[in-house]
Amino acid sequence: MNQYETRELCNAFFDAYENGRLDVLERVLADDCIISHNVFGRETTKQDNLTKYPDSYVGQRRRTYNDRIVNTFDDGFVIQYTLNGVQYTLNGVMHTGHKGALWICIVARCRDGRITRIDEYMDSSKFAAWTGPPRRAADGGPR
Amino acid sequence: MRKDWQMLELCDRFFDAIEHKDYATLEACYAPEAVIWHSHDCLYQARADNLAMLKKGMETLAKTRFKDRRVRVFEGGFVQQHTIHVTRADGFVGHIEVCFVAYVRDGMISRAYEYFDTGQIEKFIGPRRERTATT
Repeated sequence: MNQYETRELCNAFFDAYENGRLDVLERVLADDCIISHNVFGRETTKQDNLTKYPDSYVGQRRRTYNDRIVNTFDDGFVIQYTLNGVQYTLNGVMHTGHKGALWICIVARCRDGRITRIDEYMDSSKFAAWTGPPRRAADGGPR
Repeated sequence: MRKDWQMLELCDRFFDAIEHKDYATLEACYAPEAVIWHSHDCLYQARADNLAMLKKGMETLAKTRFKDRRVRVFEGGFVQQHTIHVTRADGFVGHIEVCFVAYVRDGMISRAYEYFDTGQIEKFIGPRRERTATT
């Protein structure tokens, strides 16, 4: 893969995550792709991630991957970005409007037009600020 | 034309210098305008402040090792993934996974971004000790 193909693959991956395109994620991730998460200290598979994708969006009205800085190397890419999200309540009716952000770096290995490995680095101490306070019962939230 | 070996050599020289407590070499790896961003506060740290922090680490930590180094070079810089292991004066050995992205100018690091999980900081600094009434 040349650097343009690698960059295109990178953006296709993040655009798919942003837009909920599981079909694209299925295509750009190699079947044996491994995803390593520094905050969990474990590795997950492609199928784990595709299956849990809807759960990862629970409570969020919108999620965008902004400020993407992409650099490519011979067998992959590194991307630094800001993950912005607008949270909503679990039933999606009463929006809190809270806006959160996470600053993340991903190093990916690629082969034959697909991503074979992802190493994700983020800071779990920012998760509370990312999700924001829970909806108050007085506002119609869970009791 | 990109010279990958020069970038790899700079990367190794930088982290080896920290391991070997070679402050002069470490300092020479940073360009005069160097700034270092950390994911825990999302702020750029000035060259002098970062060097002072690293120097203090050299003076107070018994041993520092960057293990499982995985380096990739890109146009204008490099990324290294590693696990840093530090041996503290009391014998505690801490570790944390780090991703270090560096941008290079004229053979020196001019800007760097360091990502790690402060949610697991106790693995790195050791358990917090409760203060006693005598201190």
